[in-house]
This record gives sequence, structure tokens and C-alpha cells, in this order.
Amino acid sequence: MLVIRRRPGEILVIAEDIEVEILEASSSYVKLGIRAPKSVVVMRKEIHVTRQQNLEAAQEISPAGVERLAESLKNALSGPIRPL
Amino acid sequence: MPLVHTRRFGALEYADSSVLTFSPGPPGFADQTRFALVERPDLAPVVFLQSLYSAELCFLAAPAKVLLPDYDLTMTFEDLERLGLNTSRQPTPGREVLCLALLCAPESGPVTANLLAPVVVNLETRAAVQAVRADTRYSHRHAIGAGPSC
Repeated sequence: MLVIRRRPGEILVIAEDIEVEILEASSSYVKLGIRAPKSVVVMRKEIHVTRQQNLEAAQEISPAGVERLAESLKNALSGPIRPL
Repeated sequence: MPLVHTRRFGALEYADSSVLTFSPGPPGFADQTRFALVERPDLAPVVFLQSLYSAELCFLAAPAKVLLPDYDLTMTFEDLERLGLNTSRQPTPGREVLCLALLCAPESGPVTANLLAPVVVNLETRAAVQAVRADTRYSHRHAIGAGPSC
């Protein structure tokens, strides 16, 4: 991993047309400003991960598969299962 | 009651009160903004989130607290606002909100639950959001049954 030290107001450039500016920094967070072409998708990593996971979760599961899943869940869980 | 044609359930009759409204839809499915929450007692604790716009799209989910009894729901300010909830504190699952983890059941490999990004429903308005956590306390692939069981 490339590690660069930057101060607020300083910028770094990725490829030809992506700029990342340090807007604000404190001991617990940094605020970044990102300038990139519209075609470049920028998102928080946890949203990207959730997106991938949702695409996988949307894969069809057969009715028998769902029954197996419910069964294995019941067996794996301790304590009573309350309705919603 | 309204009727929708679905791959999983065939013709599905649903109550308006079971409709969850996202704005926008879950990441990756931004235009899927209306889902029916379908419960089948014999399959509890699994519930279904059937898209009302796409017959093929049906997520499986289970209450986060059922999967992990001490699951601690933490929503961002923006998500609390989006659900019209009090932004000065976290909501109580089961009373103010429903907190569901989407399940992933690959052909091979363990069943996992996304505890990083639970679907949270305002029980009063049925507004819903996939509340992606900003921290890394829980996994997006929490393995079911990996822990001690009885």
C-alpha cells in the first residue's frame, strides 16, 4: 500500500483525472473531497461491500433450499424464536 | 387485497400494511423501492422480502436479534432521518423498528447474514432503509451456526 502524508488543503491525483483533496482532519476523522469524471463510481467501502453482498443474496434459492435454511437456522439458534 | 405475480410464491396476495417502502432501494437495487414482507410460520425465523416491481427478486432475511441476541443496532444520522426517527438516539428493535439481516445461502458453503447492513423498518410508517454501518463491528458475512449452539 502506498502511504502518503497530506495536510488539509493538500491534494493528491490518481491517474489523469481524479483528485482527492483533504478538506478537514481531526484526531478521529478526515473529510475528503473527490473530483472525478461522472463515469468513475465513488462510494464508501461498506456500501460497495453491501452492494456485492445484495447481488449474491438475490440469487434464487429453491423452495427445498429455503426449508433447509430455515431448519439449519432453527437448529443453530439458542432460545425461542419469537414472531416478528 | 392487492395481488402480485412472483417467481417464489406464484400469485401473492399481500396486505398494504406489509409493504415496505425504500427510498432509494437497497444498494445494487436502487430502483427496487417497494417490497412485501412475507412471513411463513413454518419457515420462521426466515422471512421474505419480495419485490413488488420484480417477480424474480426475493430476499431472505431474519431478525438480527434472533441471529445474534446482543446485536447492537447503530444507524447513521442520515438513515435515522430517512426513516423519520428521532436522530438523537438509536431506535429500539422490536418496538420502534424491525431490524432484519439479509441472508445469503450459496449452493456450497455456510449460510451467512449481513450484519453490517441490516434492513431497518420504521414500524409506524413502514419506511425502510438498508442501514449500512459506518463501523466494522459486524461482518457482512456473519456465519450462521458458527458459534456455540445447544
